[in-house]
Amino acid sequence: MENAGFLLAAFSIVWAVLFGYVLVLLNKQKKLQQEIVSLKEALKEKKG
Amino acid sequence: MSFWRKVFAITWKDVLAEMRTKEIISAVLVFTLLVIVIFNFAFGTSPDVVKLVASGMLWVTFAFSGVLSLNRAFVMEKEEGCFEGLMVAPVSREIIYTGKMLGSLLFLLIIEAIALPIFAFLFNLGVFSWQLIVIVFLTTVGFVGVGTLFSALAVNTKAREMVLPILFFPIVIPIIIGAVKASESALSGGSWGDISSWLGITGAFDVIFLVVSYLIFAFVIEE
Amino acid sequence: MKRYLLLALSFTLMVVSLYFVFVWVPTERMMGIVQRIFYLMVPTGWLTLLSFLIVFIGSILYLVKREEKWDILAYCSGEIGLVFTTLALITGSIWAKPIWGVWWDWGTPRLTSTLVLWFIYLAYFLVRSFASEPSRGARFAAVVGIVGFVDIPIVILSTTLWQGMHPPPLIFQEAGLDPRMMLTLQVSLIAYTVLFVILLIARVLLKNSEVDIRYLKEG
Repeated sequence: MENAGFLLAAFSIVWAVLFGYVLVLLNKQKKLQQEIVSLKEALKEKKG
Repeated sequence: MSFWRKVFAITWKDVLAEMRTKEIISAVLVFTLLVIVIFNFAFGTSPDVVKLVASGMLWVTFAFSGVLSLNRAFVMEKEEGCFEGLMVAPVSREIIYTGKMLGSLLFLLIIEAIALPIFAFLFNLGVFSWQLIVIVFLTTVGFVGVGTLFSALAVNTKAREMVLPILFFPIVIPIIIGAVKASESALSGGSWGDISSWLGITGAFDVIFLVVSYLIFAFVIEE
Repeated sequence: MKRYLLLALSFTLMVVSLYFVFVWVPTERMMGIVQRIFYLMVPTGWLTLLSFLIVFIGSILYLVKREEKWDILAYCSGEIGLVFTTLALITGSIWAKPIWGVWWDWGTPRLTSTLVLWFIYLAYFLVRSFASEPSRGARFAAVVGIVGFVDIPIVILSTTLWQGMHPPPLIFQEAGLDPRMMLTLQVSLIAYTVLFVILLIARVLLKNSEVDIRYLKEG
């Protein structure tokens, strides 16, 4: 069971990074949503 | 054969410009010698160290000098606004690539031809083997083949000269590895057989990237 | 609906692969339990290459057809590819320490080729940010994508030849694979590839929105 720490480390890092990447994508999406909302507002004001 | 005539027209233009100003060759040559001197102080000159390090030193020097020289390849065009002129002329992009490439090749070979004997002199190495000459030639062709493409690209970016090394070095690592290993063998009097596989790799690299760069060049300098 | 199916598939595959890797597969005799990192290392290495293949294809199609969707595909594959290349380097290094006793070995074609590829990926993105406009950046990146991909076999070849002269620190014969290990490897490969596809789709959708918003703002 020696070196099991390395095994754990490898899997943890891979999953952490992948999760992290997904979080980054989700964050970006949230920001984009906000931008869409503000753009829609701007358009409404232009029309009105 | 008007293809080659146009190509040589471009190469000759660069050679003439260079002969007038001696910009590229003098700057790069001085740089090369300085790097060699710095390496000398960095590693010392005891024969054992030199034996270990000589080949690597040589090629690090040439790699950096190569980038320096390639950086200048399109700068003149960019600054004097000659790009537009070149593009309007009835010259295909491929001709521009080949002409520029040959010009850079010529300059680098001249620099290397001067630097090698000096290198041998400073480090007491026997440099004159056909193997080494072939290695240097093939590797330089590889540098210039890809380098001309990337140089045109780099000149059109915001960071200009800084981009070229970042693009260029990872791509040419295979031929640098080959050059260092083969030069090691050549410097210690190895035979053609020892370096044949490295020469093969470098040769393949040259052919592949000359073709690829030739084909893609047009995409880089379209406006 | 399709999206959820794909997600469910990926999740299932991942769980299954974890079972294979941690419960089912026998422990390798010489290297012990650490050897299981292998089932991470090969998939990340594979995805590194797959992503770059997609970058390559996208780049060619973009240069030829000039349709932005190809540039978007290449960009997104490049981004995910960069992530997986980083992971490949990390897992490769974590593998190297217990097996060969060193964190890094310049002689291993796997590690050094991946490192070079990492730099090429990096160049792919740097060129975009250094270009004066996004359309130029896309064009230049496509050039890097094509040249980089063509370079890969040569890099692998030269690093392998280099290794021939510098044997790894501890010579471990990665002995022929027990069929159960092969199966585990294949399951892992499929699981991670499906994950890759999901990430790619997600990233492309996101990028599409980014591009749309950019056009809206400019218009």
